Amino acid sequence: MWEFRDKVAVAGVGYSKLSRRSEQSLAALTAQACDAALADAGLTRAALDGLATMPSMPRYGGARGAVEGIDVVTPWFLGELLGINEQIEWIGSTNGMVTQSLIDAAMAIASGVATHVIVYRALHNPPGKYINFESSHAGGHEQYTAPYGFTSPPAWAATCFRRYFELYGYSRADFAPFIVGNRANTMKNPNGYWRDKPLTEEDYLTTRMIADPMSLLDCDIPVDGCCALLLTSTERARDLKKPPALLTGFAASTHVGPAGVAQNLEDQIAGSEQVARRLWAATGMGPSDVDTAQLYDGFSLFVITWLEGMGLVPKGEAMAFLREGHGNLDGRLPINTGGGALGEGRLHGMTHLAEAVIQVTDRGGERQVPGANRSLVTVSNGLAKATAFLFSRDGG
Amino acid sequence: MGDSAVAAVRPLPLEDDISAGFWAAARERRLDIQYCSSCSRWNHTPSLTCPNCGSEDLAFRPASGRGLLYAWTVLHEPPAPGFRDMVPLIVGVVELEEQPRLFITTNILGATVEQLRLGAPVEVMFEEVADVVLPQFRLVGE
Ligand SMILES: [Zn+2]
Repeated sequence: MWEFRDKVAVAGVGYSKLSRRSEQSLAALTAQACDAALADAGLTRAALDGLATMPSMPRYGGARGAVEGIDVVTPWFLGELLGINEQIEWIGSTNGMVTQSLIDAAMAIASGVATHVIVYRALHNPPGKYINFESSHAGGHEQYTAPYGFTSPPAWAATCFRRYFELYGYSRADFAPFIVGNRANTMKNPNGYWRDKPLTEEDYLTTRMIADPMSLLDCDIPVDGCCALLLTSTERARDLKKPPALLTGFAASTHVGPAGVAQNLEDQIAGSEQVARRLWAATGMGPSDVDTAQLYDGFSLFVITWLEGMGLVPKGEAMAFLREGHGNLDGRLPINTGGGALGEGRLHGMTHLAEAVIQVTDRGGERQVPGANRSLVTVSNGLAKATAFLFSRDGG
Repeated sequence: MGDSAVAAVRPLPLEDDISAGFWAAARERRLDIQYCSSCSRWNHTPSLTCPNCGSEDLAFRPASGRGLLYAWTVLHEPPAPGFRDMVPLIVGVVELEEQPRLFITTNILGATVEQLRLGAPVEVMFEEVADVVLPQFRLVGE
């Protein structure tokens, strides 16, 4: 078991406004989210001595922006922006996903390198299409995919989706109840991008296909905005304004599938299983200890692969489990209680972390699951760089 | 939107030292796949070292060109301007018969969406695009 089990905690959650195209700069939105996380914990900027993020802007094809404050907010720039550069003693900047930053920050706190760390993800939604492969030539790995029109992550995920459907005899109609239920959760979440827009199964079954069988409603929505979490030791967190969410443990995937295709169903599940083994070993817990699960849904299918890979549902049964309503707020295992990235917006796992904190600290309001003492978070697709976390109310 | 030059044709492969043998074979209407003599495993996409054993003992060998359809997606909108005349575009993942999980990305040419099924036998064919030859796959025995 992890030596620092339950000794590091999230003591504050902060959001900027999330919108499709903000009139405010990413710099301003990031500062808002950080100040909100500090205020949530009853702290000010003066308390901070650590910052961590994964700063770069994901884009496939087309121009890739790197302007500080517009396209990206690196921790060094954020230090200047908040006027705290001189007091910052530790900075984490990763090439993985931002959830790796949470692991880095937890270890900085556990080792005493930092006392109060902000982990944040600032994302800019650039003008034009998010994925736009306009080059006349493709080099590197893309030379094997771009000539075939296979350059976009939704298309990669769609092949996994298709294989799952064909292997187990499901169709999109079987998935519709989950997508609709997820929207209902979103509508109980004040931070949710889609909070004001109800959705029916008919809407899901008739929406535009991005890469068949993956529709627009199976992809998270790109937003301008930022979500920030304040981490500190559990001991210090006990004296702060809000009850802490204890980090019981974490795990990361190093599983890489064959390179002939970017994603395949079996390797995504194998990667999730590796994460599961590591998480349960680090925490001394298992699938039956999970009260709510915040499963990454950058593409909706990942909810299925995580449910099966983490051992929460037997193989081939996840879609039926969701269809029968077992993942609803009043179900056996409430999933994505705040609407996930499909409902809240694309913040690369931060919304899932934030929702786990909210659930285990009993702050979910209308969407609170009674007695949700432990919440599982899984991020990305199970392959290398994917991560999982278990948060707890009381530890033990 | 045009923040860069719009390609008139489909994106073409930019060959490099590692991939040159793959594309050279395609120009001769052959599907060559890297083979590692150290651990006796096939490897695709080509790489400098074997992802299985780390050896640099990799060389291209002709593959049978036969495989099974492992998964697919159908794109109703062109993924780049050069695909405008190819929609609905079927992008397939083929598992080559040489080795389990030896995957290659391809289009499934000459097939309708209704004909596709998991595990359908496919075979390689070659498509000329500008000055390049692309290995492609089609259904067999239908
Ligand atoms: Zn080898």
